Amino acid sequence: MVLTPLWVLAGSVVVVMLVAAFVQRERITAVLTLIGLTAALITLPLVQPYLPHQVTPLLVMDEYALFYLGLLLAAAFIIVVQGYSYWRRWDGDAHAFYILLLLAVLGTAVLVTSSHFASFFLGLEILSVALYTLIAYSQSPRKRVEAGLKYLILAGTTAAFLLFGMALIYAELGTMSLIGIAERITAVSSNLLFMTGVGLLLVGIAFKLALVPFHLWTPDVYQGAPAPVTAFIATVSKGAMFVLLLRYFGTWGLLQNGQVDNTLTFIAVASILGGNLLAVQQQNIKRLLAYSSIAHLGYLLIPLIAFNAMTTSAVAFYLVVYFLTTLCAFGVISLLSRPTAEQEELSAYQGLFWQRPYLALIFMVALLSLAGLPPLAGLMGKVYLASAGLTSQLWLLLLVLVLGSVIGVFYYLRVIVVMVQRTESEEKTAVSGLQTPGGILLIVMAFLLVFLGVYPNPLIQLITVIFAS
Amino acid sequence: MNILFYLAAVVAVVAAVMVITRLNAVHALLYMIVSLLALALVFYTLGAPFVAALEIIIYAGAIMVLFVFVVMMLNLGEAATAQELIWLNPHAWRGPALLALVLVALLVYTLGGNGRFLPATIISPKQVSLTLFGPYLLGVELASFLLLAGLVGAHHLGKRDG
Amino acid sequence: MAEIPMEHGLIVAGLLFATGMVGVIVRRNIFFILLSIEMMLNAAGLAFVVAGARWAQADGQVMFIFILAMAAAEVSVGLALVLQLYNRFKTVDVDAASEMRG
Repeated sequence: MVLTPLWVLAGSVVVVMLVAAFVQRERITAVLTLIGLTAALITLPLVQPYLPHQVTPLLVMDEYALFYLGLLLAAAFIIVVQGYSYWRRWDGDAHAFYILLLLAVLGTAVLVTSSHFASFFLGLEILSVALYTLIAYSQSPRKRVEAGLKYLILAGTTAAFLLFGMALIYAELGTMSLIGIAERITAVSSNLLFMTGVGLLLVGIAFKLALVPFHLWTPDVYQGAPAPVTAFIATVSKGAMFVLLLRYFGTWGLLQNGQVDNTLTFIAVASILGGNLLAVQQQNIKRLLAYSSIAHLGYLLIPLIAFNAMTTSAVAFYLVVYFLTTLCAFGVISLLSRPTAEQEELSAYQGLFWQRPYLALIFMVALLSLAGLPPLAGLMGKVYLASAGLTSQLWLLLLVLVLGSVIGVFYYLRVIVVMVQRTESEEKTAVSGLQTPGGILLIVMAFLLVFLGVYPNPLIQLITVIFAS
Repeated sequence: MNILFYLAAVVAVVAAVMVITRLNAVHALLYMIVSLLALALVFYTLGAPFVAALEIIIYAGAIMVLFVFVVMMLNLGEAATAQELIWLNPHAWRGPALLALVLVALLVYTLGGNGRFLPATIISPKQVSLTLFGPYLLGVELASFLLLAGLVGAHHLGKRDG
Repeated sequence: MAEIPMEHGLIVAGLLFATGMVGVIVRRNIFFILLSIEMMLNAAGLAFVVAGARWAQADGQVMFIFILAMAAAEVSVGLALVLQLYNRFKTVDVDAASEMRG
């Protein structure tokens, strides 16, 4: 049956929960979680011959979903490995972390296979409810609870907006399925109730994607949450929502609509410029990365607005590179932090290059890739986005892309400069080194960033092959 | 039956406004329950007896009771009421109230006056169940995982320390 | 059952939604904010039931049931967080408990 990856994921939630209840050993819980994620990954190529397949009006499994399921599961795998070393330095109970993480991944899996408002909503809420606890996980320092509450208030409010929009669309068209709505839209622009519903829908989506002006929660939540959870929010959560946005708006033909394009352009410009400018004054690494991720989602909107033959592959390539970079950056932070004392101030990284040279090098690779400097994958990603924009002649957006990237180079380089400064401060507190599984994954990711920057063809081939149907 | 709809709707909206303007949390909760009961009546007049019952049993009967428990547990008392008096001066309300009025006006404009009437049919619990366990079967399964996430989360956060 | 225009039903939902939104913006006590969010969710649920009634489908009520499940899960975690907030910040004022720069 074609939904097997989701069944495996759901099954592992139950198994991990039962085992964790009786066997109080974190290593076993973590290993079981990894086995569950790997099993779900393995079933992906097994279901490929049966695609595309609609399972009840709610979920659809196609190549598009397959690719992103693979990406999300792989990212979750890396986060669990990083999370294990991180939570080991804490004397509290980390079992719920693994259960909630699996649930959150299940939520995102539903989002990428969603073809109906009901599954859209349910997937989104499974993800959100799991995140509320994940963000507030260790409860001290108390900024965790503050971050969790801020996220809850805003997520709840925007969920209500999303629902109201869905209700308006349903009231107008009489159906909630993706394809059903696509069939019944006639003369979209003049259908006021439908467009209002879409606008409200966009509020909910833009919040999850942390796009301006719905981004106000991002720096506080990124700062307050534990580093592995921040990594999850920045990659898996945003990625799944973006994939859904592309699917829904693409199927409804909204991306060729002038009003929608203008709105998205405004949001993209605001996010790119706002994200980059606000990052410049940041002294806190996590907040800096938060604003940087706002800008990157702005960049990702460009192929969406262009909506031409290059869109799908440009988005896929950029998301893979973005995931790699972000997981690398937050991986370094996780490795250096403990749950009760995170290394988030810029000053804490002073002289890192002289004390932990390899770690600092990996961080530098990630930062340079985010900046989009050669010969790293980040540059390839931006080139891909830019060519999608060029094909549709989006001059304003291309200008803003370049402008934003230039501003970005400034603050990314500033972090590198701080790391290379000589300092007499004490040796970084004893935390895991690169010999741990988490560290090895970091090395692999950094290597991939350099490799794909010089030779992106394998990834492009993979994307073309999977999306060929 | 039409009159019943409009009466219940007015009660629901008035009670809702009372909820957000009260100083005392328990008073606000009680007004909220009134609003929910009025909404249940609205659902009934719209031909949805099943959700009318659910609204009372689950929303007013479980979720609001949870609120009442926690409010009572924290037992903030007179100091909190006095604090609210300071925060809630009329000046604070003007901006948001204006925003809300603008939004409602926009909604009224968007809806237009086409006068699409609701067919006077009752959708019975049986129909709802058939739909729920028919096309929406996966939704039921997913909803159970949603509740599981809430369960695990609340259990973890409810622990004394760490 | 009542024969009313769909617009009236949606306007009632809109009024409730707007009221809840004002509550979230204005109030500083976390309880009132959570209560207002519940009101907004309820309003969205009403909109769904009205929409379902217009098309004589059970789908609107089914969505309402799912919204109910979500509200329950969110309130449980939310109130647990409120208790943690009170334990650590000794206040239920969201502005006072906001230490991280906005």
